[in-house]
Amino acid sequence: MVQLTLPKNSRVGKGKTWPKPQGATNLRQFRIYRYSPEEGGNPRWDLYWVDMDKAGTMILDVLLYIKNNVDPTLAFRRSCREGVCGSCSMNIAGSNTIACTKGFDELPGGVISISPLPHLPVVKDLIPDLTNFYAQHAYVQPFLKTVTPNPEKEWKQSEEDRNELNGLYECILCACCSTSCPSYWWNGDKYLGPAALLQAYRWLIDSRDEATGERLDDLEDPFKLYRCHTIMNCAQVCPKGLNPAKAIAKIKHMMVERVS
Amino acid sequence: MAKSEFVTPAKITRGLGSAKSGTSDHIRQRVTAIALVFLVPWFLYSVINASSIGYAGAAEWAGKPWNAILLILTAGAAFYHMRIGMQIVIEDYIAKTSTRSALLILNSFAVIALFVTVALSVLKLWIGAGA
Repeated sequence: MVQLTLPKNSRVGKGKTWPKPQGATNLRQFRIYRYSPEEGGNPRWDLYWVDMDKAGTMILDVLLYIKNNVDPTLAFRRSCREGVCGSCSMNIAGSNTIACTKGFDELPGGVISISPLPHLPVVKDLIPDLTNFYAQHAYVQPFLKTVTPNPEKEWKQSEEDRNELNGLYECILCACCSTSCPSYWWNGDKYLGPAALLQAYRWLIDSRDEATGERLDDLEDPFKLYRCHTIMNCAQVCPKGLNPAKAIAKIKHMMVERVS
Repeated sequence: MAKSEFVTPAKITRGLGSAKSGTSDHIRQRVTAIALVFLVPWFLYSVINASSIGYAGAAEWAGKPWNAILLILTAGAAFYHMRIGMQIVIEDYIAKTSTRSALLILNSFAVIALFVTVALSVLKLWIGAGA
């Protein structure tokens, strides 16, 4: 059966409430998922007070504020801090997104919960294990495949053909979409997930790629592709505003086209 | 997910390879859906009408050739659509291979039994009406 509740060792307990920063007037409370494999035990929710006047404007700023001023043991991934690298993806106030482009002004009222991307093994605190996600990306062979010998210079493409890649190439592999998809939760080992399928379509539609048939062969499977039930969580959460569900629908169209 | 810590993610993702199937079910599900867009409103309208004319009236209505043909088509499209839909639900939520296979077989049996029952019942009324 599908696992509808967390296993016993993953249930999140009550954690520590950290002290308020002194002299702050504009305070906001954040509830952050903590888990340390070294300490063992179950994960817990720690409560932090953040001085919003000193914390910058984005959720990543809040996390950096906590790490620099309150609790240096808090672990999370971050790199570019401008929505390009996809490192700081996590679940913020119930929705997957990247912390660096999520502003305070977009948050609902009350205590804000921050937890790792759902339904993945947790390495530590807000850091999930994405190895399976990357293996799925590798499965779609995200690179140009040709049988025609390489041209002397570059492979050329018309402007219209290049425009076909818009809305696809921008993916930063943050995994927000795949980990928001119930189909991916239940069958993440067999279903490739929206992120990998969006990239699969990016190469299927590329006018320079000559392996379209082989690519479709590798995808045509009740689980790898057809587990998408157009739930659309992927499109709703994508921090880059992309629409993986649409890309998957287009792959399905290509599948139908080659048998009819 | 992984059977042992030494099994690589690539091994899990590649799994047993692509089944090279699924497209025919995808097409059939949509074709039956298109048929049902027309058949279901007719069916609901007719059943509501037939419910107010008593058993004999309803039997006579179902025994008319066009009604009988449309009833059998409705049952065929609906049960076929249901079989694919139920199959997807079972595949989604039942991970254990043996339980899943058993339920998938049961799904097919149930749908065929339901269709045969409906089709023969309608045929009986049709043929009975003509005799």
